[in-house]
Amino acid sequence: MKRADLTSCLALVVVTAVAGLAVYGLLPSYWVFLATAVVITAISLQGLGLVTGRAGMIALCQMSFAGVGAWTVGWLNVIEAPGGLPVWVVLGGLAAVPFGVAIGLPALRLRGINLAIVTLAFAAAFDVILATITFPGQTSFLSVARPELFDSDEGYFVFALLFYLAVALGLSILSRSRLGSAFLAIRHSERAAAALGVSIPLTKLSAFAISAFIAGLSGGLLAGYLGTLVSENFSMMQSLALFAVATMAGAQLAEGAIIGGMLVTLFPELLRRLGLPQDVGNVLFALGAVQALASGETMAETLRRNLASLTARLGLPRFAPSAPVGTVLPPPRNRRDPAAAGPTLVIDRLGVRYGQVVALSNVSLSVPAGTVVGLIGPNGAGKSTFIDAVTGFLPAYEGSVRLEGRPLEGLPAHERARLGVRRTWQTTRIPPDLSVGAYLDLAAPGLSPEESAAVLTWIGCPSPETLVQAVDAGTRRLLDVAGVVAARPAVVLLDEPAAGQSYDQALRLARRIAEIPKLFGSSVLLVEHDMDLVRGACSQITVCDFGQVIASGPPLRVLEEPVVKKAYLGIALEEDAA
Amino acid sequence: MKSISMLLGGVALACLAGLSATTAAEAAGPTCKDGVIRLGAVSTITGPADFSEVPEAAAAVFDAVNAKGGLNGCKIEYTISDDKADPAVAAQAARDLIDNKEVVALVGSGSLLDCAVNATTYKRKGVLSVQGLGVDAACFNAPSVAPVNVGPYTLSTAMAYYATNQLKAEKVCGFFIIIGGTQEAYKGAIETWEKISGKKIHLLDMTLPFQGDLTPYVIKARDAGCDAVIQNAVEPGVVQWVKTADAQKITGINWLFLAPGYTQEVAKALADSTQPVYVGTEWEPFTETGSAANKDWIATMTAAGKPLTAFSQGGYLAATVMLDVLSGINGEVTRESVTEALQKMQPKSYELAGTPYVFGEGDRHAPMQATKVMKLDKGKWTVETPDWVVLPSAN
Amino acid sequence: MNALLTSAVAGLTAAGAYALLGVCAVFTFRLVAVVNFTGAAIGTAGTFSMIGFISLGVPLWPAVVLGILVGTLAGALIGLVMTQWFSEATATTKAAVTAALLVGIVALGLRLTGGQSPKEFPTLFPGSAFRLAGVEVTVASVLTVVLALVFTLLADAFLNRTRTGLHLRALSERPMAAELLGVRVRILALLVWAVTGAFTTFALMIIAPQRSPDFMSLSLLVVPALAAALVGAFRSFPLALAGGLTIGIVEGMSSAIDGISQYRGILPFFVILAVLLWSQRGARWDEAR
Repeated sequence: MKRADLTSCLALVVVTAVAGLAVYGLLPSYWVFLATAVVITAISLQGLGLVTGRAGMIALCQMSFAGVGAWTVGWLNVIEAPGGLPVWVVLGGLAAVPFGVAIGLPALRLRGINLAIVTLAFAAAFDVILATITFPGQTSFLSVARPELFDSDEGYFVFALLFYLAVALGLSILSRSRLGSAFLAIRHSERAAAALGVSIPLTKLSAFAISAFIAGLSGGLLAGYLGTLVSENFSMMQSLALFAVATMAGAQLAEGAIIGGMLVTLFPELLRRLGLPQDVGNVLFALGAVQALASGETMAETLRRNLASLTARLGLPRFAPSAPVGTVLPPPRNRRDPAAAGPTLVIDRLGVRYGQVVALSNVSLSVPAGTVVGLIGPNGAGKSTFIDAVTGFLPAYEGSVRLEGRPLEGLPAHERARLGVRRTWQTTRIPPDLSVGAYLDLAAPGLSPEESAAVLTWIGCPSPETLVQAVDAGTRRLLDVAGVVAARPAVVLLDEPAAGQSYDQALRLARRIAEIPKLFGSSVLLVEHDMDLVRGACSQITVCDFGQVIASGPPLRVLEEPVVKKAYLGIALEEDAA
Repeated sequence: MKSISMLLGGVALACLAGLSATTAAEAAGPTCKDGVIRLGAVSTITGPADFSEVPEAAAAVFDAVNAKGGLNGCKIEYTISDDKADPAVAAQAARDLIDNKEVVALVGSGSLLDCAVNATTYKRKGVLSVQGLGVDAACFNAPSVAPVNVGPYTLSTAMAYYATNQLKAEKVCGFFIIIGGTQEAYKGAIETWEKISGKKIHLLDMTLPFQGDLTPYVIKARDAGCDAVIQNAVEPGVVQWVKTADAQKITGINWLFLAPGYTQEVAKALADSTQPVYVGTEWEPFTETGSAANKDWIATMTAAGKPLTAFSQGGYLAATVMLDVLSGINGEVTRESVTEALQKMQPKSYELAGTPYVFGEGDRHAPMQATKVMKLDKGKWTVETPDWVVLPSAN
Repeated sequence: MNALLTSAVAGLTAAGAYALLGVCAVFTFRLVAVVNFTGAAIGTAGTFSMIGFISLGVPLWPAVVLGILVGTLAGALIGLVMTQWFSEATATTKAAVTAALLVGIVALGLRLTGGQSPKEFPTLFPGSAFRLAGVEVTVASVLTVVLALVFTLLADAFLNRTRTGLHLRALSERPMAAELLGVRVRILALLVWAVTGAFTTFALMIIAPQRSPDFMSLSLLVVPALAAALVGAFRSFPLALAGGLTIGIVEGMSSAIDGISQYRGILPFFVILAVLLWSQRGARWDEAR
């Protein structure tokens, strides 16, 4: 674990302990009872926050998962299973996981929107089932047995708080892990995540499974809290309301989940004290959620921003982890078989058509090991389509793509990325809420902090702890390049990396790109408009027009060919003149 | 106004006098610390159903007593808490009443899930609830709750009993909506009827959906040749069922519903229907405004400006029961003394109900075992059984 | 077998309703790119206001017109929220907004309509059309099926044959691009919302007397409706129509089979699962992501 992780985990433990002690020691029993409800709801909200807030999918069946956990605990209580409530609650969480996976499975390849419908339909279906089965032990008045130590209101509060802390710690560690970054990445752009070698189905599924597990835990805790439960605890409207609250409060953050829990629990209390009708709560949650979606900022995020500006105004020292310094780049990639000196990437008679429109036809190209090959051509020549086809983002193409002799046909995008075909995008697709370091970790797993820092310094990116959203667009493009090369794949396909760069920056980038084969051991296919950059970086270029190769060879010779000048440079010259 | 309050005063005094006559020899009746007796109710007021009329009616009864100087000088402080039909809110509400409001008992609650959620809490905290309107199965199956209403399960038995005894039905069918663990209770209700009548149920369908199209079920009843169908839908479901039967042009089946169907709204909504529709009541039919049994209840409600509905009968009756029990306590009214008084009480008859009310010490309580059957006639409810239909097992 | 046929025919009432609402959902999605969870709730609001007008003494048909007007306004109001704040948002965000709004609308609706206490829902088209397999098929259920069919044909023709339809499709795919084309995006989008509001209101008015007429139950008809729309992959009107009819009829049939009938409410879920597993065999990438 890195030091930053340790510090934030410690902070979480201390804050929870202090708050817990305050509730435990200072509040009367009734308020401790309420606080327990806050904590249990917050646990459930954290799970929901993982799916909706972090991974950007709509899940409308969180309470159904909780119901699975609760019923499991109830049943274990009736059969007097060994281990007592702590074990039962965990088992309840585990019991919810298969449901989470089952819901996630058909929705894996879907646009997120359909997932919302699947989950809502599941919630409706679960309502029907739950309505027909009694909570185990209810008819015989057997309430769920609490451990002796935690039997009182205060005791059970501590019990629930321990679970909350465990979940919060787990999620905090998860959010800093590669999987956590992958969640953010698929929310931002599924294509870009796949291009980084992230398996979209597996990532979505794990988000769902973890979320269901946490919901199951909270359901089990609820069973111990109330002793017995009714189906209304887990109805579809409860799930919908919880979704609204999660959206409003920002449940992906630990404090957001607590805020949400307080809204759910203390709002009815407030309304009761004010003598207002209870249903006002749901209306306000709905409005709050819409407001949060419209402003793009949840309550927890607002709180963080205000706290940050407050610390800034008061001149308090801000907590800043010491940035690692590194000058040694990671070792370059080793070819698996140094004896095989064939080209890294061979594309043979590639063809792509969209309906009647031929986007590429008969394009053959090879990228020899240790070289930078340029692919140029006017707008609409099919360059991006070419990259899409090679990296596996098109449903179908003709011809073949071989990486170090191995055909890639039939492999999905993330598999190709893992095998060593990496790409960047014309418009940057880096999740803005990641830090620069976390992004590099996501793009190139296994780098040491020092190596990451060295790669960033090499290309001219800010230090690892900087947030991507604080980085200007030009530098983000560099980060894009840094990400793919740091992974040291067999071949890197760069799609117009110099777009939006100044002339000086572009020249500097050209030098860096030319260094890639030597420093990182990767071959490069560079798609670019900027002729200076192409001349500066490439040892070979191929020119495309209207989906076909019209010239190929060393840059100086190819660029002098009349057919190239006519098709391509003519336009470029006009552009320069304008 | 004056005459009404005089009347009320008279009623209250008569009540007190009747009670104190038996206890006068021993002591001066109930006493209270700081001059108040705290009572509460957990009811569904907002959300999918509104049972607020139940505790409101109880409140009217207590207000009337307070206006007369209270019970033996003790003011009654009555708190109504809404549970939104949300279990979490219901649990909160109960804890608030017990821990913060320090109620000595719960009375006049009417909720979709109060008993199921809170009966355990009541038991643990040593508080008893005289439910004004028991809805869920736990109300009739808990040591800590004894409703003043018959409830859907006993009423199902009673309606089936009525169908065989008075309507001379041969093929009695049951269609039940099963929510939240009521399956056993309804099965039990039908088995009880089978024991009493010696007949077998012709068709028992416990799969009726809470919402959705009912046509397939109505058709099923027709095709099975049922001549009486017992159904447990709440208000909208009753209307929907009868309208579906009308749409299918079904004739020759008596439709028997439970107390939730017995409202003016249902009668109005079904004014055009020619289907024979019967409902069983929880208490003396509230639409019979001229009946002697309803007189006190009507007077109290009218004085308080509350509506005259079946729900308000429940609240009124629960409050009356509670007042009687409280009056019988000698010494300080505490949670313990009220609980003891309820558990030790003798069965007491009330005109509003067909059987006497008693709380007692049993593990489950369903003291009310009688109903009156109403028939729908051109948008109005008419009494079919002027005498109570009392289940034989209750005798 | 006969019992199965009988109950299948009996399921026709629900089938028409699901189909009509499903087609409306596809219409909304194709034109304004929103998966609308409030669809049925909008119609329910209109339907309940009709009851309100009737209780105020307005005669039936004027009350119907007023109710549809309220539904239209309610639709436009949601549309206003969507176009005002979320025109540039992703489809997921838009769906999240409508899901959240549904929570509020149901709470408000239950409050204003008094929970489950029944309202007298007038049957707009009383009587039965014909008798099939021993079941009276009501005029209302025939009408919903026909209405769904008509709406399907109209929507298809509108989208593919008219200039406005093409504009609207451009709008849903690229709001910015449509703006550049000089299409008055907001007005058109609001119009779409209003029209779907009117249609769902009318649909719910027809079917309300045959459903459990409380605000929440009617609003949650959106679940089978979206299931139907999903069968059509939110693109095809005829497939959505078929999907809605299938769900309704299968639901009806299942009530004749003991052991399943109790769980027939979970059928939309299984239909969705089956359709998704079948139709999403290949990898798909969200456009523009």
